[in-house]
Amino acid sequence: MKKNKNIKALALAMLLPVAGFCQEQAVKETSTYFSNVLFITLLATAIVLAIVIVAFAGVFKNIADSDFLTNKYGNKSNNNSSTIKSVITFLMISSSVSMMAQDKVIAVVAKEDGRIGGLDQFTFYFMVFVIFIELLVLGLMFFQFNFLVKTQTPKVEKKTKKVESKILMSLTDAVPIEEEESILLDHDYDGIKELDNNLPPWWKYGFYLTIAVAVIYLFNFHVLKTGALQGQEYINEMAQAKLEVDAFMKNSTNNVDENTVKLLTESADITAGKDVFIANCAACHGKLGEGTVGPNFADEYWIHGGSVQDIFKTIKYGWVEKGMKSWKEDLSPMQMAQVTSFIKSLRGTNPPNGKAPQGDLFIESGATPINDSTLVLGDSLIIQMKADSIKAALSATVTSTK
Amino acid sequence: MELQKFQYDNKTVKMFAYATILWGLVGMLVGLIAAIQLYLPAANLSLPYTTFGRLRPLHTNAVIFAFVGNGIFMGVYYSLQRLLKARMFSDFLSKIHFWGWQLIIVLAALTLVLGKTTGKEYAELEWPIDILITLVWVVFGWNMFGTIIRRRERHLYVAIWFYIATFVTVAMLHIVNSIEIPVSFWKSYSWYAGVQDALVQWWYGHNAVAFFLTTPYLGLMYYFLPKIAQRPVYSYRLSIIHFWALIFLYIWAGPHHLLYTSVPDWAQSLGVVFSVMLIAPSWGGMINGLLTLRGAWDKVRDNVGLKFLVVAVTAYGMATFEGPMLSLKSVSAIAHYTDWIVAHVHVGALGWNGFMTFGILYWLIPRLFQTKLYSEKLANMHFWIGTLGIVLYAVPMYWAGFMQSSMWKDFTPEGQLKWQFMDTVTKMIPFYIARSVGGTLYLIGAIMMTYNLIKTIKVGTFLEVEEDEAPALTNEYHAHSKDHWHRWIERKPIQFMVASLVVVAIGGLIEFVPVFLVKSNIPTIASVKPYTPLELQGRDIYIREGCYTCHSQMIRPFRSETARYGEYSKAGEFVYDHPFQWGSKRTGPDLAREGGKYPDSWHYNHMMDPTSMSPGSIMPQYPWLLEDQLDANSTMAKIKAMKRLGVPYPAGYENTAIVDMEKQAKDITANLKKDGIETLPDREIVALISYLQRLGKDIKSEGVKTQK
Repeated sequence: MKKNKNIKALALAMLLPVAGFCQEQAVKETSTYFSNVLFITLLATAIVLAIVIVAFAGVFKNIADSDFLTNKYGNKSNNNSSTIKSVITFLMISSSVSMMAQDKVIAVVAKEDGRIGGLDQFTFYFMVFVIFIELLVLGLMFFQFNFLVKTQTPKVEKKTKKVESKILMSLTDAVPIEEEESILLDHDYDGIKELDNNLPPWWKYGFYLTIAVAVIYLFNFHVLKTGALQGQEYINEMAQAKLEVDAFMKNSTNNVDENTVKLLTESADITAGKDVFIANCAACHGKLGEGTVGPNFADEYWIHGGSVQDIFKTIKYGWVEKGMKSWKEDLSPMQMAQVTSFIKSLRGTNPPNGKAPQGDLFIESGATPINDSTLVLGDSLIIQMKADSIKAALSATVTSTK
Repeated sequence: MELQKFQYDNKTVKMFAYATILWGLVGMLVGLIAAIQLYLPAANLSLPYTTFGRLRPLHTNAVIFAFVGNGIFMGVYYSLQRLLKARMFSDFLSKIHFWGWQLIIVLAALTLVLGKTTGKEYAELEWPIDILITLVWVVFGWNMFGTIIRRRERHLYVAIWFYIATFVTVAMLHIVNSIEIPVSFWKSYSWYAGVQDALVQWWYGHNAVAFFLTTPYLGLMYYFLPKIAQRPVYSYRLSIIHFWALIFLYIWAGPHHLLYTSVPDWAQSLGVVFSVMLIAPSWGGMINGLLTLRGAWDKVRDNVGLKFLVVAVTAYGMATFEGPMLSLKSVSAIAHYTDWIVAHVHVGALGWNGFMTFGILYWLIPRLFQTKLYSEKLANMHFWIGTLGIVLYAVPMYWAGFMQSSMWKDFTPEGQLKWQFMDTVTKMIPFYIARSVGGTLYLIGAIMMTYNLIKTIKVGTFLEVEEDEAPALTNEYHAHSKDHWHRWIERKPIQFMVASLVVVAIGGLIEFVPVFLVKSNIPTIASVKPYTPLELQGRDIYIREGCYTCHSQMIRPFRSETARYGEYSKAGEFVYDHPFQWGSKRTGPDLAREGGKYPDSWHYNHMMDPTSMSPGSIMPQYPWLLEDQLDANSTMAKIKAMKRLGVPYPAGYENTAIVDMEKQAKDITANLKKDGIETLPDREIVALISYLQRLGKDIKSEGVKTQK
């Protein structure tokens, strides 16, 4: 009996400082990680495994404590059970070590490139390592348990069954069904009686754990203010996104703005622009650019300017008060340049049901007004483009009306 | 001691059982129709009464208050009498309770399809019905406490603790959340506005789940599960701790429905931590239920009712574990506004409430009719088809929710949103179809049960007079010295009620008082102005059509949301929103900054036929808005009511409001005319456009960089 108490004390001694350490560290360092889903998943897995290990260790201890062993082994059992007890002690220690390891993970704030799922490599691998160790410990325990069960039960099957229900009982700390009379309360409500079983330990300690988590959480965010609340989180997220996008755009040929945009004439670009147009613009401007809710693009009149730069700007920033939304969050700069070029190609296509002209007359320098039916040879390239785009647009309409 | 003879009232139990079955079928059918409309908008038959925005509140109200509500009363009226060894206090009160509740349900069904709604989820019923609910609820409580006072059993069994907690808490929630100023007989404005309204509403909404769908059903579980299994309840001590912990902690968790919104950070954090702490108390009920079956699992194999109960308790365990997980901010960021939440609530509703009710009915009806169940085989088929239905419902919705959320958050390397909102909607269609298949299976199961029970009833004879006997309670009672301390309060029903009221009141008080009194919780914004009369009318149309069932008005502070919708929502923007319209689901896009995004004519065309302006849209058409005339006469009363709520309209504005209203309507009509649309300024569509064009503009105008 004395030995038994020692083990309990030892186990407590192992766990308590760890728990304390855990709290301190968590408060100081974890905040940045708690927005990372991968980290939370890994941490949750590690914690759950740790709890399972501790619970399992408890099962061992109960078995070791029970007269189950002594009965089986008679006088020899002393030796045996002390072996088991030392195994348990080892497991308790190893499980608390693995918990300690978790804290170390939390404490590490390494800045490295090549992040995995938003976590730096060290953290990621360390977490995986911890989980691996925990699984290993669990496997070991299972092996040991099987070994125990086998050596305990020479009389085979019937006994295994008993051991299984013993697992359940150690998890729930329940009085066996055969003995439940002893905890049956004397009340009878319409034939319903109540037992007075102990609270299942895992449930009770789980409850304590959630309360501890709650206290730590509130401390972190509202007393120590170490955690980023949603306003700060947003600022961080935007800054991070800007860094990433800027880095990408530096090396991208896709990078045009209203000052550098030029008319694209490759038919691939025009087709791409048409696709964007049909998907996003046609609802308001018509499939042929004839204008419905929004203005007509086939005429020469422009509300916000008809140059490539002006059209690009209108698409990019929108004219919110006129009902034109800004598309810069939806379309890449290249896509906006393509759709601009497609719109420019609509000039003079004279689609059916065209909306009346709105805005000011704008004619590109060197171009001929549409009304002039005799188009000059120098414009042949543009004419060809127009013809192509009309055909393309028409076929698109035909397919969509099908 | 002399034994007293008495009779149980089985008739009321029977009537509540019939009502449960009837309203269950109706509620599920309406849900199925609404589900089908999500991929087949035309299934509303182009009637205003059957569009999604009106059917969805009808479905939720029918299932919660009609199906589960009658289920509660059925179980309470049966178990309470037997646990207390006393007939119900008053047959007259039982009658009023039964018929009063059915009247409420019928009125609710009528008013909801007619568009009479407060626009607050799960509390949509208008003020006259709210008062009726309060009265009938008091009758229920009166009847229950009358019975308790006349009991022949000294101590109250755990099931009755849950009934008492249900009674006091639902009364508190309903009254506090329903405080509203009537404008007319079927129209009122919530007393609270914006952030405060949201906080009160979700305190109510969350605890409607807790105290209408959970605690009474836990009470039923504590009676019917050990009764059917004929096993003692696993742990009395667990009952005590999980009961008090559950009712105390549940109340606080409301703000987890409002994570990343404009609700103050500290309130959100309270919502998070109290949800986490709820895991163990919730699971306490599951453990006590499942472990009660220790040594009786062979009965589960043979008894179909027990089978339903086991799945119900398991579903309860899953849903109450998932709930706290969804309350973590990082998970909420993914799941909120998506179908994931729909899956979550249906695991609870179909699994826990539905299966618990079915299990009880399969056991109770043969008892009441002194016969055997007509067909065990059919009941077993119901069990399997129902379980399959739940799986087929939940899995596609989980998948859909996760997928849509990921698409919303996707960016290209260039920093643009990868998907237009419409792309994400189109992707949902197959999942919506699969879900409606799951729902159909579940409904078929319920129909099979109805048939089975009708056949049983036809064969049996109703046990009208059921006698029992028990000694009367004496005035003197000497407690055993070894009794658990909790026994004391089990002997004192009134003290028990007061104690539970105190316990459930704490959380709400601590969360509300600072939000109502401390200014810094809702920083005011000078540019935010009250709605114009026309916008106010438009807003009421928005509420009437249930737009909030598919559109949120709350942009969360995420890059993916500010890129798509504009600047994130601020608490000060909603100070004139009686009621708030943040919504909880984005079947369609957020509308918090809809104002000015599209021209007036876009909205006109869009309401006439959504697919004309956004191809692929699953929004129903609203042709009646184009034809119906706005009820301009109500403007004066509405402005008056708003002024009483503290909205700063100038003195006497109610008298001149109509002039402003007509002017604004004419401007919009003129604007529409420019785009070739002819409409009269007194049509409802004009008011609605004015409201939509106002949304989010108050602080938008400052933020927008004007171009040169």
